[in-house]
Amino acid sequence: MKGKTWLFWGGLIAAAGGVLFQTSYDVQDLEEKLAGLNRKIILEQESIQVLKAEWSYLNDPSKLEALAHAYLPLQPTEARQFLALEMIPMRPADAPPPAATTPGLAPLPPMVRAPGAAVPQVAARMPVPAASTGIVPVSATLPAGAAIPKTVPMAKALERAPVVVPAALPAPADPSAARPARIKPAALVPGAARAPSEPAPAAGRMAPNVPTALNRPTELASRPMPVAAPTPAPKAAAAQPSYQPKPTDSLGLLVARLGANR
Amino acid sequence: MTIPPHDQGGPAGYGQPGASTGSSYVPPPAHKPRTSLTVALEQSRYRLMVTAAVVTAVFGAIGVKLSLATLFAGGGEPRQHVALELDNTTSNRADIIDRNGNLLATSLVTQSLYADPKLVSRPEEAAQKLVSALPELDYKEVLGKLSGDRRFVWLKRNLTPKQQAAVHRLGIPGVSFEREERRFYPAGPLTSHIVGFTGIDNNGLAGMEQGFNKRLTAEPGTPLQLSVDLRLQHVLKKELAATVQEFSAIGAAGIIFDVRNGEVMAMVSLPDFDPQDPTGLDPDTLFNRATLGVYEMGSTFKIFNSALAFDSGKIRVSDAFDAAHPIKIGRFTINDYHNLHRALTVAEVFQHSSNLGSVRMVQQIGIAAQKSFMTKMGFTKPTGLELPENGWPLVPNPWREVNSYTISFGHGISVSPMHTVAAAASVINGGQFHTPTLLRRQPGAEIPTEQVVSRQTSDMMRRMFRFVVADGTGKSADVKGYVVGGKTGTADKQKGRHYQKNSRMSSFLGAFPMQDPRYIVYVLVDEPKATAKTYGYATGGWVAAPAVGRIIKQVGPLLNVPTVDENAPEILNSTYLNAAGSTNWQQSLPPVTAPTPPKGSTVASFPTQTKPR
Repeated sequence: MKGKTWLFWGGLIAAAGGVLFQTSYDVQDLEEKLAGLNRKIILEQESIQVLKAEWSYLNDPSKLEALAHAYLPLQPTEARQFLALEMIPMRPADAPPPAATTPGLAPLPPMVRAPGAAVPQVAARMPVPAASTGIVPVSATLPAGAAIPKTVPMAKALERAPVVVPAALPAPADPSAARPARIKPAALVPGAARAPSEPAPAAGRMAPNVPTALNRPTELASRPMPVAAPTPAPKAAAAQPSYQPKPTDSLGLLVARLGANR
Repeated sequence: MTIPPHDQGGPAGYGQPGASTGSSYVPPPAHKPRTSLTVALEQSRYRLMVTAAVVTAVFGAIGVKLSLATLFAGGGEPRQHVALELDNTTSNRADIIDRNGNLLATSLVTQSLYADPKLVSRPEEAAQKLVSALPELDYKEVLGKLSGDRRFVWLKRNLTPKQQAAVHRLGIPGVSFEREERRFYPAGPLTSHIVGFTGIDNNGLAGMEQGFNKRLTAEPGTPLQLSVDLRLQHVLKKELAATVQEFSAIGAAGIIFDVRNGEVMAMVSLPDFDPQDPTGLDPDTLFNRATLGVYEMGSTFKIFNSALAFDSGKIRVSDAFDAAHPIKIGRFTINDYHNLHRALTVAEVFQHSSNLGSVRMVQQIGIAAQKSFMTKMGFTKPTGLELPENGWPLVPNPWREVNSYTISFGHGISVSPMHTVAAAASVINGGQFHTPTLLRRQPGAEIPTEQVVSRQTSDMMRRMFRFVVADGTGKSADVKGYVVGGKTGTADKQKGRHYQKNSRMSSFLGAFPMQDPRYIVYVLVDEPKATAKTYGYATGGWVAAPAVGRIIKQVGPLLNVPTVDENAPEILNSTYLNAAGSTNWQQSLPPVTAPTPPKGSTVASFPTQTKPR
């Protein structure tokens, strides 16, 4: 009887000791992982800082003006080009609704956004082949009968901004860079210039940083994209390979980008 | 305890119970004789008890501590690694951003190379290798550093990653890297005089970097937001540079100012410098003409002279003053640039920028009133702008009659352009003086204001401003749609004790839209030379006014200022003034162009929407 009691307690102590040691090693492992993650976060933050600085550097108004002079037929706006809102008559009630809303036309000027805001563009654009340089109408990209998650229009809007590199930049492996010098305003997003050349895991790694202010859960940032995007994009690219935005579009985009209408 | 004298003491007494009944000594009970064994037993019991007590106390303390440490301390030692806060920044100095969030200054992590000469075994070889990897280093200097006695020498600060890799590959013992931060200015020279720069150890040496050094290092996580707008800054600098080039000037200064809250939207001083590398340059480039330089402003000061005249209540806009006869005071003779040889109304004095008329006005008002008014306008102390480069005005002391005469047309008192702009803003914005600021005012925060002139004075000054641009010396500043008003200024520069005829400061203080002023655009050009295109003139109206016009044309849309028709009745109602000093625009118009029904009436049935701001 006494021996059994000893055995029981001894076994209990041994088990507890074993569990304790196991836990302790687990904790050590986790601590090491945490330290590694912290180092990575710091590294990421430092590179974000560098990218922000580069972004601001490339967005220097003097540079933009020189580029606009070289590639765009735009002049500074004059007073006669503005019209008071009350001068525009209201639309008659029986008029047809507008054909298609264009969610991608007036994004917030990225330079005004929070630092993390450039990341979803990278993440969203990753799966898209570099060939899809044209602006893709939303309707064309939807596979028939496909269940569209709510997040798609936003993602499409981001997709619509084609990955084109200004000629002044070193050209990555992007066929659109070989196009003639005319640059679509949407392409003046320098954050996009680097996107194609980055390794694919970058999207997954950076996805948790996506700000929740974009009306979608963080986990969805990278997930639905590979399902929806890769199939329609080549189709659309084949359908409209040589779409050039109208001058009116580019003006609107430029104004939106400069934040002048806000 | 008292021992009786007959008691001999000792154990012998135990054998005689009751022998000493008179004593207070009580013998132990007879049946338990105190043998040496009993004593020893008792002693050891006490000792045991003491030992047990000590052991219990110690173990009790250990037990308490153990339970505290295990049960109540949240499970063991403090964590070695704590998850980082995601918003936290890695740098030690806060960013500086403009009002739209564009970076103006940021800190980037770099590696710096240092050596511990004690650990360098062969300095010659190490120096040879280092110079081969970093060709910009000098071999002799490196060798001297490496063979010295100190334990720490910097070899090169802020290496690029490529250079770092090259040095790393050499594998020289005793040479290692230190993580450092370097200030980087993405906007470059564009905001150099506002943002300033830092030294190699990242302490601010000029501009906001110096003025807010403590704040930038104390809260590295929150960026410092300035009131400047990078786009406006660019437009202003571009036009100033064009003007400087066109008129071969030696410098220029420009300010765009929000008259409603005192925010400086843009401020440029030319020539400027590259904040990345401010050392070893011409010190003139570091000089901030817009805030540190104090100049005699010339005719721009007639703004304040007229405001003083209206505010005193003694002079009305239609009053006429003699402007034909030069004024002699002491050894000075005051005359006009273009003498019109007749009496002028106050409006005409302002329109033609007449010195004589201004002097006659101040003669009527008095010296004391002028002095107190100029003090109220902030011309006797620095502006209170956050920059460390803040000039003290040069004010005459004592303030004599001759000083009051010259001050009426802007000579004899030297203030910085920022003084002029802040004071002019208070004259046209309804009379509220705001201390100029370079920090963005938080929406909803209270703006410190001081009422310096009356609302009526301010209203009349707006008309005077508009009159100068509509039909005066500042016509070339006019921009269709933006109802520009302003005042030209030309001052001869003083060299030594004399004024020079051909070196002058030409300036223009423009404001728009005059029916409800929102922004002041100020341009000052230092020593412009006349060109053939300006018919030999280099005055404010020929040099600075066109620049202001071009600036307003470009910044108006950026600032979201609605365009209006200058000749619309509601605009004329609040901006019209004629040479006779009448504000009634309907009388002055010929009957044919008498007010037509407003264009908007044809769509009056639609609900009017206000333009969003």
